[in-house]
Amino acid sequence: MTTGEVAAKTAGDAAGASRAVLETRGVSKTFGVVRALRDVSLTLRAGEVHGLVGENGAGKSTLIKVLTGFHQPDSGDLTLDDANVSFDSPRAAQRAGVCAVYQEINLIPERSVADNIFLCHEPKRFGFLIDRKRMLEKAAEIVQRYRLAVDPAAKLGTLGLGAQQMVAIARGVSLGARVLILDEPTSALSGAEVDVLFDVVDALRAEGIALLFVSHRLSECYRLCDRLTVMRDGAVVRTATPEELPRGALIAAMLGREGAGEHAWSDRSGAADARDEALADTPPALEVDGLQWGNRVRDVSLRVAPREIVGLAGLLGSGRTETFKTIFGAQRADAGEVKLAGHALARTTPARSIGRGLAFLSEDRRAEGIFSRLSVRENIVASLLPRISRFGFISRAKEAQLVRESIARLGIKTAGPGAPVSTLSGGNQQKALIARCLSTRPSVLLLDDPTRGIDVGAKEEVHRVVQELAHEGLAVVVTSSEMEELLALTERLVMLNEGATQGGMLTAGAHPDDVLAVLAGHAPEDGRIIDESGTDGNPT
Amino acid sequence: MATQLESNEDRLSPSNSTAPRAPGETRRGRAAWLAVLREHSVYFALAALVVFNLVVTPGFSNPFAARSLLFEAAPIVLIALGQNLAIATRGIDLSVGSVMALASASIAVFLPYGVGTALVGAVAVGALAGLCNGALVALLAIDPLISGLALLVAARGLAQALLGGSRVNLPDAPAFDVLGALAFGPVPVVMLIALALAVVVAFVVRRTTFGRYTILVGASRSAAFLAGIPVRRTLFLVYAASGTLAGLAGLFASARLGAADPNYVGVNFELDAIAASVIGGTPLSGGRISIVGAVFGVLLLQVLDASFIMNNISFTYAQILKAVFIVVALYLQRSGG
Repeated sequence: MTTGEVAAKTAGDAAGASRAVLETRGVSKTFGVVRALRDVSLTLRAGEVHGLVGENGAGKSTLIKVLTGFHQPDSGDLTLDDANVSFDSPRAAQRAGVCAVYQEINLIPERSVADNIFLCHEPKRFGFLIDRKRMLEKAAEIVQRYRLAVDPAAKLGTLGLGAQQMVAIARGVSLGARVLILDEPTSALSGAEVDVLFDVVDALRAEGIALLFVSHRLSECYRLCDRLTVMRDGAVVRTATPEELPRGALIAAMLGREGAGEHAWSDRSGAADARDEALADTPPALEVDGLQWGNRVRDVSLRVAPREIVGLAGLLGSGRTETFKTIFGAQRADAGEVKLAGHALARTTPARSIGRGLAFLSEDRRAEGIFSRLSVRENIVASLLPRISRFGFISRAKEAQLVRESIARLGIKTAGPGAPVSTLSGGNQQKALIARCLSTRPSVLLLDDPTRGIDVGAKEEVHRVVQELAHEGLAVVVTSSEMEELLALTERLVMLNEGATQGGMLTAGAHPDDVLAVLAGHAPEDGRIIDESGTDGNPT
Repeated sequence: MATQLESNEDRLSPSNSTAPRAPGETRRGRAAWLAVLREHSVYFALAALVVFNLVVTPGFSNPFAARSLLFEAAPIVLIALGQNLAIATRGIDLSVGSVMALASASIAVFLPYGVGTALVGAVAVGALAGLCNGALVALLAIDPLISGLALLVAARGLAQALLGGSRVNLPDAPAFDVLGALAFGPVPVVMLIALALAVVVAFVVRRTTFGRYTILVGASRSAAFLAGIPVRRTLFLVYAASGTLAGLAGLFASARLGAADPNYVGVNFELDAIAASVIGGTPLSGGRISIVGAVFGVLLLQVLDASFIMNNISFTYAQILKAVFIVVALYLQRSGG
C-alpha cells in the first residue's frame, strides 16, 4: 500500500463520508477497580471504514460491547444520527441498526445459510409462519449483491470459515445494519478469504454503511481503513488518517512510546565481537527453516547458537506463541524443518522434543504450566519421571534430590517440596516451571514471555537465571510483551511480523524505538539490521 | 496398613485447606480441626454409622451380617478402584456395571471349555471391553461420558444376547465355591483379593510413573501434554484397567449369585462406585486420588444399605435416603474446597 493509494481513497470518500452515524462522547466504564474505558470519544461516519487498534487490554472489546448494548457506560453519551440513545441490550442495538460480527462466529452450523441470515427475523406469512420461499429469495438477493460464492440453501457448517464470516456479515446487512462492527474478522481466514472479505467491505462502504474494523494485523488496517483510532489503557490515544499516522507512529502510540528516544539504552557489558565469533564457529543448537502452521505461522526461519540468547520480537498476534508451539511439536507443522544440533526432528510431539533436548515454557502459566492442585515437588519432576524411575517405579531418593537441587538453584521460596504449588507467588511458580524445563537437561530452551504477570523482583531473578543458563551453554529463544525487557535480556532479536520472520538485529545499544521501527517496516539508518538466514522479508 | 497408606496419600495429594488461615491461634486451631474432620469425614461417618447400627439395629453385631455385607462389597471395591483411576484423570467410567454383566455372561459361554477357561475368559472379556473404552477415549478423543454411556448400553445388550436373556446356573465347582462362599471368620476370600488389589493400585498410584501420569493428566491435561507426558497412553491404560477390574468384579458377583445373570449382575453398580470414589476423597475435577478413601466409601455405602434393610425400611425409601446422604456428604466435602 502506497501513500498515493491511501490519499486517492480518502479523497474519493471525502465527499460522502462526512456524516456521523454513531458517536460516543466521553464514554467511561469501570469494572470494580479497573477503569476499562476512560473518556472515549469515537465517531463512525457513513461510508467510512474506521480501524480500531490497540494491544490486549487496551479497551477495544469493552468499547465494542458498549456500542452493541452488552454494557451500559457509567458516564458519557452515545448518539445515533445526532440523537442521544442508550442501548439496554444487544437486541436494542440491533434494532437501531448497530450490528457486530465476531471472530468466533455465533451462528448455527446445522442450519442453512438462508436460515442463519434470517435467524430470529424470518420473513413471515400471516404473522407467524416462516415464509421459506421468500426467505430463500431474499437470501439469494443478498448473496448476489455482495457476490458471495455461497449457496443460500447450503448448510452453514459445510462452508469454510471465510464463507461463514460472510454469512455473519450478510446477516448484519439483512437486519438493516447501518453500523457494522467487525471484530478481528480476518484472524481465522486465509489470504484468499481475506481478499473476498475486503471486497465485501468495500461494497458495504460504497453503500454508505459505517464500519468499525478491529484487527491486530496492521497491514490490513492500512489497506482497508479510511481512519484509524489507537487505544491504550482504556483511552483513545489518537485518531488520524493512515497517511497522518505511519506504521511506526501507530505502533509507538499503541505501546505508549511517543516522544521516547532521549534516554539511551544502557550499554551492557557483553562484547558483541566475542558473540560474533561464537556465532561463526559453533554449529547452531537450533535451526528452523521455513516453518509453517495454518495461517498463524507462515514462514519462520531462525538459527540459535549454544550460549546465545535470541529474542523473538513481534507484536501481539504476530504468531510468537504459535511459532514456539510448532517448533516444540505441540502442534504439527504444515511445512518446514526443525533441526536440533544438526539433526532434523520428524513427527514431533512434546514428549519426543523433550527427549531430544528441547524445553518449552508456555506463556499461559495457569492453563498450560502448573498443576495447581499438586505439590511443588510433583510440578518440578513432571517432565523427568521416566528418567528418575526404573521399570516404571519412581525413585524417591532421586526425586527428592532433584527437587532439593532445583529449589536451591533457582531460589524457589516455598514452605517445602510438599507444599501445594498454588501457595507460591507467581514468580516462584514460574521458577518452579523453569526448574521443570531444566530438569531434562535441555540444549535449547524456548521461553514464551517468561516474566508475564510476575513482580519486578521476580523478573530480575528470572533474567539472572536465563543469563546463567546461556552462560552454561544453553541456547535460549525468548519472547516478551515488553520490548525493554527483551532488549535487556537478549543479544540478538529476530523480527516476527504476521507469522513470518524478517531479519534480525543486534540488541547492544539498541533502543526499543529502533525495534518498533523495524517492526513497522522501516530500517534504522545506522544499518544495525543483519541478514537472518536468507529469509525473504515480507513487506506488507 | 490402612493408616500408613493413607498418610502417604495425603502427602501425594495435598489439600488446599492450608491456604487461607484465619488470624488468631484459637480460630486457627479450630479451622485445622475442621479441616482434619472434613479430610477424613468418610472414616468418621463410617465409624458413626457402625456404632449407630450396633446400638440400634437388631442383629447387626452378628458376624453373618458382616460377612454377607462384605461379600456384597467386594465387587464394588474392585470397580471403585478402576473408577477412581478414571476420575483422577478427570474422566469417568460409566460402563463398569454393564461390563460386569458381560463378564458374567461370558462365564456361561466359556463353561463348556472348563471352569478355568471360564474364570480367565470372564476377566479377559472385561479387559477387552476396557480396551474398547480406552481406544474410544484415548485414540478417538471421544468424551469418556459418551463412550462410557455407549458401552453401558452395548455391553449389557451383548450380555443378554449371549445368553438369550436368561439366567444360567453355575455348576458345582471348587473355584466357584471359594469365590462365592469361602470366608475366614467374617471376611470372605473375595474381599481379601479386592483389598490386596486395592493395595496394589495404591502402590501403583503412589510410586510408579503410570500412577503419577494419571494424576498429572487429571490435574491439567494441557500442562501434562506440554510437559511431555504420554496423555493418550495413560488414558488408554486407565480405562483398560477399569474394564479388567470390572471383569473380575463380574466374576465375583456371579460366583456369589451362583449364576451367570446378564439382567441382574452389576445393575447401577457404576453409580455406587462413583459415589464411593467421590465420598472417599477423589474429586470429579481430577488430579487427586484416594484409594483408601474409596474402599471406605464403598463400605460406608454398603453399611448404609444394610442399615436400611435390617431396619425394615422399604427399598423405595431407602433409595431416597441414600441419595440424600450422598448429596449431603458431597456438599460437606465441597465446602471444604
